[in-house]
Amino acid sequence: MKGRKLKKGDIESALNEFLKGDQHLVLGFEKGENGVSPKIFKGSLDHYSLLNPVFGANAALYLRRLFSKGCQVMLMLRPCEIRAYVELQKLTQIEREDIIAVSIDCPGTISSKDKKGDVPTEADQLTDYFKSSDSMRWACSVCGERRGVVGDAGVRIDRNGNFWVIPYTEKGETLLARMEGESEEVPAEMLIGESKKADKFQVDMETFDKDFEKCTMCMNCRDMCPVCYCIDCVFHGDEYIPKGDALINKILRSGSTKMPQGKELFHLIRMYHVSQTCVGCGACEEACPQGIPLTKYFKGISERLQGMFAYMSGRSFDEAIPYLTFLEDELKDAED
Amino acid sequence: MGEAKKKDGVEIVGFACSFCTFKASEMAGSLRMKYPEGVKLVQVPCSSRVDPAFVIKAIFEGADGVFVAGCHPGDCHFIKGNYYTRRKIAALKEMFDAFSMKEKLRLFWVSAAEARRFVEKVTDMHNELKERKNEREKA
Ligand code: SF4
Ligand code: SF4
Ligand code: SF4
Repeated sequence: MKGRKLKKGDIESALNEFLKGDQHLVLGFEKGENGVSPKIFKGSLDHYSLLNPVFGANAALYLRRLFSKGCQVMLMLRPCEIRAYVELQKLTQIEREDIIAVSIDCPGTISSKDKKGDVPTEADQLTDYFKSSDSMRWACSVCGERRGVVGDAGVRIDRNGNFWVIPYTEKGETLLARMEGESEEVPAEMLIGESKKADKFQVDMETFDKDFEKCTMCMNCRDMCPVCYCIDCVFHGDEYIPKGDALINKILRSGSTKMPQGKELFHLIRMYHVSQTCVGCGACEEACPQGIPLTKYFKGISERLQGMFAYMSGRSFDEAIPYLTFLEDELKDAED
Repeated sequence: MGEAKKKDGVEIVGFACSFCTFKASEMAGSLRMKYPEGVKLVQVPCSSRVDPAFVIKAIFEGADGVFVAGCHPGDCHFIKGNYYTRRKIAALKEMFDAFSMKEKLRLFWVSAAEARRFVEKVTDMHNELKERKNEREKA
């Protein structure tokens, strides 16, 4: 595979060059006094940070329902964010024409809830930081894809700390076209390698009840999930989680009921609905005010269900989402 | 969910395609074949109409088990609906398996002519769930 080895400042100047275009924007990260946060840059970069060691939300969330043709948005994001974008694009929630998606090798992140000023933003220091501290988010410690190998191009880091830009599609070439130098063969071994396969997720409803005991059904987890995109969610209205008259009528029919009710309904239905598109980013858990271990469940279930179809969410633009296609000759033992 | 209601028997909610399994159940009725009382059918225009959310709702609102039934693969009235059903319900079964409750969900292919097959399938499911229930109550 061929790519371009970068010198210091190469990325910034290429992005600044890109930003000179009419209606061109860059969605990336900004280094501020209190750590790093996402930012959409217009005109030129300022306090740009390639890496973001703090996870607050999955930035693909901000791109839903982006259909206007004519603008160009360059995404300089973490692999889980680019994967969520790819899924949303397949679900026709984002117009691909407008986007150049670049995934950047991710050494892992801390939760925005433990946001500290002292987290380094350089790749090598960050890797050391995580070696000596256990503050990495659980989602990152079990992340299925930390490599910048998804989207239109990737920024990879080699074992000597050099950065590489590698194009995967024609669009990816547009970033490279703004850089000087020649392409060369990319080293086979990089700083961040392939992830270990996670164990098969297995629980029971007693454990679920314990884990979700403190859930208040605020539904923040749904609202911050990048791939939970339905405008008219099934949990609006009274069919699944009744309120008011519908709730009282239901209780008159069925008897005393502990509140809030419908936790299993809400979480299991959501788990199924995102099962093929969940990227395991843990934005749901990050958004939860009650500290519910959501990633364990959502990532666990989605890996099992994606595994049935040898699918991995966001890995490629061309693989169809398994529930939206089929093979005639498959799943012979599905019937009971 | 609310406190589970005390029930004597086993309750099964079945989502049955109106072009095949539902017809088979009607034929079973007209042939005076018997199937367990606890089996409640919901007629759907195609098995692929069943959003797995319906299944999950039925389970957590008190059903002991749920089945989804449609035409044999290749025989869908809408040409390919049941191929989607097969993917979706197979995945839902995998999810139920992850939650250690895979016995609660079954998928059947029953054509309009297969009244006997319909009765056998639902009776078998009913008996297994009943056995499990009795064991639980003994324990
Ligand atoms: S989930 Fe993976 S890609 Fe996303 S921030 Fe964590 S390590 Fe990076
Ligand atoms: S964000 Fe947390 S408390 Fe709110 S519904 Fe989700 S799991 Fe429950
Ligand atoms: S369910 Fe949670 S882990 Fe999965 S994509 Fe949504 S926010 Fe990320």
